[in-house]
Amino acid sequence: MLPRCTLCGKVHWYPRLICPSCHSTDLEWIEGSGEGRLHTFAVQHRAFGGWAEEVPYVTAFIDLNEGDRMMTVLRGVDPNKPEDIKIGTKVKVEFEKADDDTHIPFWRVVEE
Amino acid sequence: MAATNLSMGAAIVGAAESNEIGYPEERGEKVTSLQHHIQAIKNVSDYTGIPISDIEGVFSTGWSVELAEHLGIRPHYIDTTSVGGCSFEIHVHHALAAIASGIIDIAVVSHGEAGWSYRGAGGGGGGRGEMSPGAEMTMAYGTFGAPSQYAHAMVRHMHQYGSTVEDFAHISVVTREWAQKNPRALMFTDPSQAEVKLGERTPNPFGGPITVQDVLDARLIAWPLTLFHCCLVTDHGGAVIVARPEIARSLRTNPVWIAGAGESMAHQNMLEMDDFTATSAARSSAIAYEMAGLGPQDMDMAMIYDSFTVTAAITAEMLGLAPRGQGYRLWKDGDAAPGGRLPINTNGGGLSFNHSGMYGMQLLVEAYRQLSGTAEDGVNGIEGKQTDSQTCVVNGTGGTLSTTGTLVLVSDD
Repeated sequence: MLPRCTLCGKVHWYPRLICPSCHSTDLEWIEGSGEGRLHTFAVQHRAFGGWAEEVPYVTAFIDLNEGDRMMTVLRGVDPNKPEDIKIGTKVKVEFEKADDDTHIPFWRVVEE
Repeated sequence: MAATNLSMGAAIVGAAESNEIGYPEERGEKVTSLQHHIQAIKNVSDYTGIPISDIEGVFSTGWSVELAEHLGIRPHYIDTTSVGGCSFEIHVHHALAAIASGIIDIAVVSHGEAGWSYRGAGGGGGGRGEMSPGAEMTMAYGTFGAPSQYAHAMVRHMHQYGSTVEDFAHISVVTREWAQKNPRALMFTDPSQAEVKLGERTPNPFGGPITVQDVLDARLIAWPLTLFHCCLVTDHGGAVIVARPEIARSLRTNPVWIAGAGESMAHQNMLEMDDFTATSAARSSAIAYEMAGLGPQDMDMAMIYDSFTVTAAITAEMLGLAPRGQGYRLWKDGDAAPGGRLPINTNGGGLSFNHSGMYGMQLLVEAYRQLSGTAEDGVNGIEGKQTDSQTCVVNGTGGTLSTTGTLVLVSDD
């Protein structure tokens, strides 16, 4: 689900109290395509808490097909071969259950 | 309404640091952020001959009221702007406006940050309770601290412009060359050459000259950033006094004139960064250059926030010192190096001199030192004038390539 302004029709991320494009407060949630493109990434080699056990892992910014951008931990890539990760590559969302109320979106590199 | 041109409406009349910067804790001396502030203000007051009681405006990241109370002064201009490392350039901009409009005659801009000794204790300027929605949407995905974020900008730069990790590594190497000229720089001493005397600072194990290969081989923090692409974490205090032109000309110190000043922002969270290879320094510097009636081609030197090599490279592009995508060339081609056409970060930078978390004050202190012609006098314990510069563009960057403040400074005559 993605927040969209009913006035100007633009999708934005992260969720806002007001449309960052036209400043209408008349916002709705729409179901997104779950598809996007890799905008940029990095490989995290130093982390804390629960993430410390996961290093190295790839963090990334995703250009959503609907517009605007989302951050994620990228799946379907080898963090030890960053040279093989291609910016602009197609990605799809998948949800992981965190608890009964929360599902966290992750993105995975998929075939064109 | 057209704004009044504030150019030359005030001058920086002195700059000083706190007594012990770097890792004072190592010498068994834990210095608090407040101590760094007070020492720096006392030192700049002694240096300029301006009594602390004459200060009418206090500019600092959140600290201004506490500092004024501690000093026993009652300023009638109070500014606590706290927007990351560029706050101090922005403070100078605000002090210029306050002085040029006649509200105050004398302002102090102060910085004190025990960034190393009190690491993990939380940021100096923050203070909001709940996490902002933007931060929530990035922190959830295992990014910790600045390097984990800035690495994304470097990867995008490499993709868009064909730059390489090696290109950026030259920035670390050249900046380290400058640090070899500054005994106050954390990375000044080559540990293999040093004779350690009892009671003296232990040389940093990573100190001394470095090569591009050293940068490439250093431990990975967030690919493509290795340790040597990242700034230090240290303690630091510094202060500058800004004064009205008539006062500036009457002092024993040499004024450095504020010819231009500008500030801007692009985002708070990197999630909202439209172009990962650009910052608001394009805008803040355009404002500053226009005020000054000068352009990038008129700059003799530059002090550029180098939290990471990529920060310095992109900022150089935004300041118009290099074409888009080629900021790193200033270092790679030797222009920014000692003896080069456009010296950059002559103190050794955040990469090799000192970086307490918010580095903007260190930029100001060094720009004053170089332009005031007093560098040879050993101001702040550094001997030797490194450049003959008359003009300097100073650019601070705060947050995650979020906020910027630009100053165009010129020597007296």
